[in-house]
Amino acid sequence: MGRFWSLLFLLVPVIGVGIFVVCAAEIGIEDHWLPENVNEHGRVIDDLFMFILYLTGIIFIATGIALFWFLWKYDAAKNVEPVKYVHGSHTLEVVWSIVPAATLLFIAIYQMNAWADAKMRRPTLPGSDELLPPLVEVTARQFEWRLRYAGVDQVMGTDDDVFGVNDLHIPVDEDIVIAIKSKDVLHSFFLPNLRIKQDIVPGMKQHVWFKSNKKGVYDIVCAELCGWGHYKMKGRLTISSRDDFNIWLQEQYENQEVSEFEPEGSE
Amino acid sequence: MITFSGETMITSIRMRAIATTSAILGMVLCVGCGAPIAEFQQNHVYILKQKNELDGAFTPQQRKDLANVMEALFGTPDNPHIPQTGVDTSSLFEQNKLLMAAGPYGSYEDGRPRGLYREHCVHCHGVTGDGKGPTAQFLNPYPRDYRLGKFKFKSTPSATPPTHEDLRLILYNGIPDTAMPSFKLIPGDELEALIQYVRYLSIRGTVERELIFVMAEYGEEERLFDETIGAEQAEEVTDVVNAVLEDWIAAEGASLEIPPAPKGEKADMIAKGKALFYGDIAGCVKCHGDSALGDGQKTDYDDWAKDYFDPKKPDDRYQYIALGALEPQNIIPRNLRAGVYRGGRRPIDLYRRIANGITGTPMPKAPASLSPDDIWHLVHYVRSLPRETTSNPYQHVPANNRERH
Repeated sequence: MGRFWSLLFLLVPVIGVGIFVVCAAEIGIEDHWLPENVNEHGRVIDDLFMFILYLTGIIFIATGIALFWFLWKYDAAKNVEPVKYVHGSHTLEVVWSIVPAATLLFIAIYQMNAWADAKMRRPTLPGSDELLPPLVEVTARQFEWRLRYAGVDQVMGTDDDVFGVNDLHIPVDEDIVIAIKSKDVLHSFFLPNLRIKQDIVPGMKQHVWFKSNKKGVYDIVCAELCGWGHYKMKGRLTISSRDDFNIWLQEQYENQEVSEFEPEGSE
Repeated sequence: MITFSGETMITSIRMRAIATTSAILGMVLCVGCGAPIAEFQQNHVYILKQKNELDGAFTPQQRKDLANVMEALFGTPDNPHIPQTGVDTSSLFEQNKLLMAAGPYGSYEDGRPRGLYREHCVHCHGVTGDGKGPTAQFLNPYPRDYRLGKFKFKSTPSATPPTHEDLRLILYNGIPDTAMPSFKLIPGDELEALIQYVRYLSIRGTVERELIFVMAEYGEEERLFDETIGAEQAEEVTDVVNAVLEDWIAAEGASLEIPPAPKGEKADMIAKGKALFYGDIAGCVKCHGDSALGDGQKTDYDDWAKDYFDPKKPDDRYQYIALGALEPQNIIPRNLRAGVYRGGRRPIDLYRRIANGITGTPMPKAPASLSPDDIWHLVHYVRSLPRETTSNPYQHVPANNRERH
């Protein structure tokens, strides 16, 4: 085989790119990589992801080809001259330090706004500086999501709070703040379609926010291995119109306040 | 005769060494693969208890008879039977639902799911429904042992089994503050299969206990079922099974009727409830404590622990623990200021807890001298407790997000 062994190494970038192209042609790049995005600001996060994907993709291909080229060119059987000792190249070292450093710095600055939007700029009440209160508090525990809606008065801890589990309802086209807590261990509140993922630390209060732009039913999953039943820690997110949401919330409240019961078949 | 030259000898030794090593390695790797065959475990703890208390013989032959009778009646975890003893059990189980819940996890050829119990429940509640799955020992409270036929959160009186709706609500909502999660999002017929399978395991366990109780009276030569004697003995077994089945069938209509809450000023009703809470008739304060933090007494045990554990003779427990019983845990009265209600937070749920008591625990049913209105006042008071300012002392909670505008 001789230097043809190096072709084996060339297969890595060739197969890698081939699979990518086939999948992209078959399913489309968007659907192939990420679930449907229903968050207004999710686009920015997806763009960042795609940017880094293409950047690393190009580097991956370039590295693969360079590796192949060196293996091919400097095959021992074809190069009979003795090896020359080279002390090193100062210029080369500077170049391969500065280029990645500049790239990383660029990404660090380029993503700052996206990060601040996702983690620091919590929406405020319309026309004021006051922070938007959470619509619902999600308490993760092994192995479920306990929910507590602030209710009509929008204040947590009052008589009209609505309690639930695993079945989260949210109105569409509105800024939503969710408070997340953990009752026991580390969990991670993950809404794949809203590009929201936040680790939950026991004893620490955290908020996530988003504005969804499409009605539908989506997944809530735990993205941090939290124990043997981690796999079953799944919830359902229903995004509906404000009116439907209000009706649903009222229904939940009424179910919670039942104060009369006649057994079936009596009378 | 074949002789080896030195070199082939070494090669063959080396070959053999490699073969042996890989065989050992293979065996080591395969240990732990493949689940053990699921089998119903005999209730050894209860047998030992009856042996100790009633001096039962429980010879190996008698234990074998019990296992045979149980298998004939109820089948195996992979192939459950509905006991055919002349009672119409159609309101309790359907064979095709039981088959969905039983067996190893997977699906049948027609795509119906199989092994739902082993997928969702067995980890805590165990194959036999004895509440001794692999995770059980780490939990407090322990997972329910269905075999006593007792369930805490239900609408029926203390000694009556739960209704279908009672079991459904627990599976649907889970039990906050315990390890029981909600199974809200699994499809309706799968939930139904699990409800029926819980019933099946509970009925099976209760029948086994009753038979053990009957057998405790036996001399060494007596047998639970001997083919040569036949019919008369079969009747004895059938009677035990039918009594249990009829209990469960009758439970369906035994839910407590709850009259509507009296109308009136809320603060007024809460004040009345408070007086009852601290009064002698209801006596809530004795266990739930002066401040309702659930600290009135903390040394009692529930019926599942008392089944083998006598607090007066704590050392006796080791013989039962050796047979697989769990180390007894104290049952703690509920902290009523936390706003967490295990059996549901609806007013009717709290009414049921107070009126019927909580089966298997020191929480008694309301004395007859408490009127329904009194119970409603107590419900209002209990529901107001988490809203009192003393229940929500200010606590600094660190937040990780810096907020900028």
